[in-house]
Amino acid sequence: MTNVTLLNNYAHRGLKVQAGASARFGDNQRFVPVILGEFPFLAVHYPILLTKDSNTGVFFVGAMLGFDEGENLFLDGRGMQTYRPLNLQRGPFFTAGSDLAIDLDSPRVGETGTALFTEAGEPSRYLQGIMALFRDLTRGIDLTKAFVDALLRLKLVEPVDITVSFDDGGKRTLTGLYTINQDSLRALDDATVIDLFRREYLHLIYLMIASLKQVAVLARMKNDALLDTSAALAGV
Amino acid sequence: MIHPVQKIVIVGGGTAGWLSAGVIAARHQGRIKAGAFSVTLVESPNVPIIGVGEGTWPTLRTTLERMGVSETDLFRHCDAAFKQGARFAGWTTGAEDDGYYHPLMLPQGFTQVNLVPHWLENEGGRSFCDMVTPQGVLCDDGLAPKTITTPEYQAMANYAYHLDASKFAPFIQKHCTEKLGVRHVLADVKQVKLAENGDIAGLSTEQAGDISGDLFVDCTGFRSLLLGQTLGVGFKDSGDVLFCDRALAMQVPYESEDAPMASHTISTAQSAGWTWDIGLPTRRGVGYVYSSRHISDEAAEEELRRYVGHRAKGLTARKIPIRGGHRETFWKKNCVAVGLAAGFLEPLESSAIVLIELSAKLIAEQMPANREVMDIVSARFNDVNHYRWGRIIDFLKLHYVLTRRPEKFWQDNTDPATVPDRLKNLLHLWKYQPPWFFDEFDRIEEVFPAASYQYVLYGMGFRTEVSPDSNSGTRAMAAGYMREAQDMTRKMRATLPRNRDLVKKIHEYGLQPI
Repeated sequence: MTNVTLLNNYAHRGLKVQAGASARFGDNQRFVPVILGEFPFLAVHYPILLTKDSNTGVFFVGAMLGFDEGENLFLDGRGMQTYRPLNLQRGPFFTAGSDLAIDLDSPRVGETGTALFTEAGEPSRYLQGIMALFRDLTRGIDLTKAFVDALLRLKLVEPVDITVSFDDGGKRTLTGLYTINQDSLRALDDATVIDLFRREYLHLIYLMIASLKQVAVLARMKNDALLDTSAALAGV
Repeated sequence: MIHPVQKIVIVGGGTAGWLSAGVIAARHQGRIKAGAFSVTLVESPNVPIIGVGEGTWPTLRTTLERMGVSETDLFRHCDAAFKQGARFAGWTTGAEDDGYYHPLMLPQGFTQVNLVPHWLENEGGRSFCDMVTPQGVLCDDGLAPKTITTPEYQAMANYAYHLDASKFAPFIQKHCTEKLGVRHVLADVKQVKLAENGDIAGLSTEQAGDISGDLFVDCTGFRSLLLGQTLGVGFKDSGDVLFCDRALAMQVPYESEDAPMASHTISTAQSAGWTWDIGLPTRRGVGYVYSSRHISDEAAEEELRRYVGHRAKGLTARKIPIRGGHRETFWKKNCVAVGLAAGFLEPLESSAIVLIELSAKLIAEQMPANREVMDIVSARFNDVNHYRWGRIIDFLKLHYVLTRRPEKFWQDNTDPATVPDRLKNLLHLWKYQPPWFFDEFDRIEEVFPAASYQYVLYGMGFRTEVSPDSNSGTRAMAAGYMREAQDMTRKMRATLPRNRDLVKKIHEYGLQPI
């Protein structure tokens, strides 16, 4: 259940939020939508891929954090030690036009955690951070959509099926993921390449390509986790 | 002196004209861009277009994709919806539960094993269709053949379209003139001028002067201005085999905007013919195709209104004469006919648009380099087209010959004198061996493959004698494919959206090209 309401410093002045990353609060996501500004932070840890919204078929770009539903391999008892995507950082907050809204039914919201407002009713540093985050996110969503549209228009997107075998005999095949078609990229004419460069898209495209190397890193993390589990089960 | 073929002139701007223009221009884009080839379509500003059919065949997906048309645009501009086949209701006995599907998916493992004898051996009351493919069940459930994340033109279950034919020709026209470099001339043809060798030299037009060409494509509809009227090619009537010669068409509104929309054509047998019922997003297209020898126009209209029910009140029925048959030759001299100018058959299996596509493709692929080799190509084209029209007539007749309905129209249809010899022989043969490969349907681009014959034959209660011993070698494989069909049915029912919901989503979000 959600109970989203506009945030105000009177009704919500005593409210606190547990902001840290935790599976119990919904950070256990396998694939998280991201924006362009995050690409440099993401690419050093996670594969940046495209997928389709299951309800609309529309492409969006996201970071892959795991293989199975509800699996974030970067999440441990202490939270996420690597870069935490904005869409996880934003916690129980949403935007409603230019206003900030909060889901009062979110398990993050209650009487423990970080306060949203100071005694004087001013936004706390945490809330100021959230407001800044949404300024980035809102603008970023439009910029990212324009970037994805450009990739599609230039036919630079191709499906990629990721199949990984694990030492416990298990196997995962992920479908519905897309990446940059490097042959099409190489075949672009000079004017288009310069245009992509000037719009700072070329850099982002290469970050996406480079981030594919992280698939193997994720696979190794998953493999280690599986072996730990089976070792524990075997009582080793 | 060699006379190169570089100027293609298409006369007539209906579905046939614009599809031919699109297919030919798309195939020869390189030469058009280099200025060495041109496609011109001459269309009268005054002649109304007869919208041919609202049903299509899955080939249209490939045809449009090759032309570079966006499938999303097709849905948005032509009032298109998905078609997964046809259900024939009441054709065998006319009883309440009498009906079968001719789906567009082949039986599972069709290229590996013939499932017919295995189904016959162990029928268990389940229809052939439901044992070998999920598609009949998908149609029963009103499901779409794909999801919003399936790319354009790709399918989870094979499909074609139902569309508004009066919107389709202008839609293709726009693509042809804006994207494919087809020249569009709006002018009335005053006179067709012949050369000394009997070829068509050019057209004199009212508004645009003289238009010359190397190859003329006659898409002028029933009147066949070039091939029929000018070059004197006769018409071969098929009324002795297929009796229907009239149609009454009606556009029926839905109960509500969200009413279920069938993803198959519903063909229901009536006293002297059959009704079509085609679900478009905005309305149903319903019509009665009948034999005027067996029923009066008034009685037919009454029967049609009875089928439609209370929603028919206040709606007018448009009367369309049908002349079933085809030209004696399709390509003569430097003139080839496509569409109604080549011929027409009752729309029982939506053969009109697919025949246009196949002819246009053959012309485009076999485009003679010069006049000197054109007769070799045209002889081939005529062979193929005689074969195709013959097979379609056979296949349409097949729907009638197995009936047990008592009405005179239906009984007359079973008279052996009205059944083509080839079909008679096949029916005899199929008593002892079911149709499959190595039958006669081995042409590339066969309009109706052996699978289509299987669905109709066994849907109508025809039975082939098979010996269990001859099944033993393939029994395990056949059981595997039948299981596969059941698994697919389960999975697809769980995954696929309602037909109307998907079409709505395509209008809103579009389908992705990949």
